[in-house]
Amino acid sequence: MIEVKSLTRLYGEVIAVDHISFKAASGEIVGLLGPNGAGKTTTMRMLTGFLPPTSGSAKIGKYDIVEDSMEARRRVGYLPERVPLYQDMTVFGYILFWAQLRQVKAPRDRTVDVLKRFDLLGRRDKLVRQLSKGLRQRLGLAQALVHDPPVIILDEPTIGIDPQQVIEVRQAVRDLRKSHTVLFSTHILSEAEEICDRVVIIDKGRIVAQGTPDALEKQVRANSFTLEVGRLAPERVLEVLRAIPGVASVKRRDAHFSVETDGSRDVRGDISGAIVAAGGELLEMKQVKSSLEDVFLRAVQSAADNPQGQKKS
Amino acid sequence: MTVTWTIFRREFASFFVTPTAYIIAAGFMLFTGVFFSQEFQVAAVRRIPINPATIPSLVSYMLVFFAPLFTMRLFAEEKREGTVELLLTAPVSEASIVVAKFMAAWAYVTILLGITLVYQAILATYAPQDIGHTILAYIGIWLYSGTVISIGMMFSALTENQIVSAFSSLLTLLILYVGDGVGGIIGNIQLSEIMRSLSLEAHYSTSFAAGLFRAEDAAFYAGVIVIMLFLTMRILESNRWR
Amino acid sequence: MTQKSGYVLTRGRAAQIASFVGITGLITGAIGMVWRSGASANYALIAIIIGGLGIALWAGLTPREFRETITGKRVRYGTVTIVSTALLIGIVTLTYMLLQSAALTLDVTQNQSFTLSQETLNVLRRVSRPIRLTGFYTARNLAARELDDQFFRLYTTATNGLIERDYIDPEQNPAMAGRFGVQEDGQLYISYLDAAGEIDMTTVSRVPRGESQERDVTQAISRMLIAGTIKIYFATGADERDAFDTTAEGIAGINNGIRESGLLTDTLNISQIAMANGDIPNDAAALIITRPLRDLTGAETDVIRRYMDGGGGLLLMPDVTYNEDRFMSETGTFNTWLWQTFGLRALDAAVVDPDASASSALDVISAVVFTESPIASRINPEAGTQTLFRVARVVEADLLSTPANIANGRIIMTTPFGFGERNLADLGATNTFGFDEGEDIPGPVSTAVWATHQVTGSRVVLIGDSDFVSNGQVLSAPGNGILFTDALSWVSGFSDEIQFAPQAFTSGLPTVFVSQQQVDLVVFLSVILVPGILLVSGLAIYARRVRR
Ligand SMILES: Nc1ncnc2c1ncn2[C@@H]1O[C@H](COP(=O)(O)OP(=O)(O)OP(=O)(O)O)[C@@H](O)[C@H]1O
Ligand SMILES: [Mg+2]
Repeated sequence: MIEVKSLTRLYGEVIAVDHISFKAASGEIVGLLGPNGAGKTTTMRMLTGFLPPTSGSAKIGKYDIVEDSMEARRRVGYLPERVPLYQDMTVFGYILFWAQLRQVKAPRDRTVDVLKRFDLLGRRDKLVRQLSKGLRQRLGLAQALVHDPPVIILDEPTIGIDPQQVIEVRQAVRDLRKSHTVLFSTHILSEAEEICDRVVIIDKGRIVAQGTPDALEKQVRANSFTLEVGRLAPERVLEVLRAIPGVASVKRRDAHFSVETDGSRDVRGDISGAIVAAGGELLEMKQVKSSLEDVFLRAVQSAADNPQGQKKS
Repeated sequence: MTVTWTIFRREFASFFVTPTAYIIAAGFMLFTGVFFSQEFQVAAVRRIPINPATIPSLVSYMLVFFAPLFTMRLFAEEKREGTVELLLTAPVSEASIVVAKFMAAWAYVTILLGITLVYQAILATYAPQDIGHTILAYIGIWLYSGTVISIGMMFSALTENQIVSAFSSLLTLLILYVGDGVGGIIGNIQLSEIMRSLSLEAHYSTSFAAGLFRAEDAAFYAGVIVIMLFLTMRILESNRWR
Repeated sequence: MTQKSGYVLTRGRAAQIASFVGITGLITGAIGMVWRSGASANYALIAIIIGGLGIALWAGLTPREFRETITGKRVRYGTVTIVSTALLIGIVTLTYMLLQSAALTLDVTQNQSFTLSQETLNVLRRVSRPIRLTGFYTARNLAARELDDQFFRLYTTATNGLIERDYIDPEQNPAMAGRFGVQEDGQLYISYLDAAGEIDMTTVSRVPRGESQERDVTQAISRMLIAGTIKIYFATGADERDAFDTTAEGIAGINNGIRESGLLTDTLNISQIAMANGDIPNDAAALIITRPLRDLTGAETDVIRRYMDGGGGLLLMPDVTYNEDRFMSETGTFNTWLWQTFGLRALDAAVVDPDASASSALDVISAVVFTESPIASRINPEAGTQTLFRVARVVEADLLSTPANIANGRIIMTTPFGFGERNLADLGATNTFGFDEGEDIPGPVSTAVWATHQVTGSRVVLIGDSDFVSNGQVLSAPGNGILFTDALSWVSGFSDEIQFAPQAFTSGLPTVFVSQQQVDLVVFLSVILVPGILLVSGLAIYARRVRR
């Protein structure tokens, strides 16, 4: 449904998106992962037709985003990073406007449907400006879905809302699976893992890794721990830990130490043994779930080692 | 077309859901009202005729100050709220957006002009009016208002800041308005002729306001409107290219 | 494929060159047009034509690229945007210029302020030499200049350019202003052009600027056209009313009026001409005889007869006089000749009309006007343009046995209750009058009549009163002046030259009296009520929004 080929975008001299290529099949949910400034928004803006690409091409369905911009745009629902709202419209009026603008058949019925879906029907006559942030986010989603587009592009839809709302939004995105192709960006790996069929990781405009969450995890399986050690000088702790085979790196953060293994073996037993043997006291050992940062750092490292890294087989 | 109509409706309605438009209208009518009642009083006491173009001519001056107040938000607000991003990614051409917004603002001014017909009604009970002349003066001021709006809208598209937008269009309109009388200051007749042919007022005061329809003046206003709409479209688009 | 791309390349390059030439041409042309000084306009036109061809070529060679440039898909860069905008401005400017030179206008005013009347067009039809209107306007006065030019250019159009317009800034060209004697901003002069196309300074005259532009300019043109061609003579020598007498009894007022409308006037003494066996001068377009205090002699009648046989114009204004030898006495030589030749005569009776008169029944107001006569079309008692004759002679047109080749008719008549009082002696002595059956002339009676000889073209108007044009009374009724000028215009043939219908409608003139309360109401309505309603609606919207 979405096919991106060597898409590139420059802002003046700055390369925001650098020859990225990926595909999203029909009914697939694809997560676009990357830190701030990675080029997620820029990529999405190109796909939605807001920005033209500097070079490369992309297709929504069979329509090129430049050559057949209108047709491509017709097939996309978009929720920008900052939810765009007409503050002085009513909830109903707002959704109806987008429905009419996208020439939905029976726009009123459709508006009622989406409002119901996002549990906004009870507030249909409220002014947009009076909605809470979470409600606004939902309103934005409703807007993106009102014309039932085959492709839905969501730019960080869960940012800045409370956990309860995050869960709801994620659930809403999951519900779109099968019927829609969803491209959504985030910098929270767990979120991507939770809902995505596939993840594309980008940094500095380049794709550094892509695949299913499982495959990615395997690829970068990183075991990280944080330790709190008592009765032992920090230098000594570092020394002891580094001596353990299978430990890739150790970093000190105040009283805590973070340990990363190369994943070749389980080192937990060795660690506690070594600390105790050195006369220390292991106060806490916590396994850290691999964060985006971790995955990401590895991906970036390998990309730096191998400039062709993003073109993985 | 339906799309243009949809945007037009939203835009037009947006004038009436906030108090701003009413307050602007009230201010507008207050100024015209004070001026009109003075004119009327003088004319009634001395029993002299009132020119049918009195009110439209006054409006031509007031629009310079009032138009920026409601054109400033046309695009600046969409940019501030980010809605422009949705608008530009909807299957809608820039032309539709620009034309719809322009028409909405124009329709608003048309209503303001409609309210000033109260004065014409008062005049009609006071003395027989030259209907043809009155209608032409109103057609002229209507075209003129469209031109003023198109200029204001262009400035609104240029910037995200409403105040900057309002001030730059006010300044431009003022220059275009006084271009008519600038000859008196520079004293060079060739230069003043050129200034005059570019000024907004000159295409109104000597033709529409005098009861003479001149095709070139209508073409001037229509031309400026088209150019401004075109520029606005380009500016809107250039936000994408930059 | 390779061949084709080669072809496309040359075509593309040609289109590129064409687009460049086209845009440059249009912009240069537009600038040249705006500058609009003399010869540059021609070059500008050429540039615009070349520009248009270039654009057309471009569009023809690479229609897609052209379309995309215009519609903007390819407008990626500022330069292209600027060029396309410049192109659009060029097109708009061109359209503007074309429309301006085509001067498509529509005058919607009720008074037709920007349309030449039929009378003016009649005058303009006779313009055969180039005439120039020279206006002096400063740079501060451009709006007035433009407004005036809207009107002056109608004269140019109507005469196919024979009447030219030229505007001079007196501050930039003080020497020229000095030659014309310009005193204030916005003065207008009219003159003939000499063979070299330069202003013939001997013919320059200032055009007065009054209420009606059209009247001012057309009369100025008319004066130029007929300067010296129409001459009116006032008869003297028998105590006629004096054309130079400015007292209430004199008629200097109408004499001046005649002169101001471009006619020449002079006096002539008929008895001297008769004694010398002479003739009335050939240049006499009309002869006015206003109430001599004696009748004309046979010799004098002969002088007039010869003049009329040559196609002359005669305006006769006898009056009620109480002497025996009164002018046009019923059986006198002159009256008899007039009756036999033109079927017109004066009777020895005074007009009385109890039903249409002012303070006395002798002050008769025009009751019945024969508007189809060549003279009376502008006299309408209904519209307030009635005439008022104080003690008038009864005159008569022979409608039953009209002499051969004569067309004649009445102009003004009394009501059926009017009559002709024959007893002039009593009237003069004791101011008594009354209808005496069998003696007085039963009404209605005529007070003004006309006749024309269809072969010689001679024309006569006979009005039974003379004091209606005296300085003291000419303004006492609006129709008095009109009757005189129209009668004179007709007998002299000047009516074929110029005539103005009075404006029927004045826009905006108040018809009702406005009381202070009404003024207060208007102030309340426009200053408080209308803005107030709007303000309250605004606050209501605000309140509703806050509450929601
Ligand atoms: N309008 C712009 N003009 C110039 N540079 C820009 C513009 N928008 C983005 N950039 C730059 O392009 C790069 C990519 O930005 P982008 O907004 O696409 O990142 P992102 O992945 O969406 O980041 P975030 O997580 O913060 O939203 C950044 O370096 C940013 O500074
Ligand atoms: Mg972003």
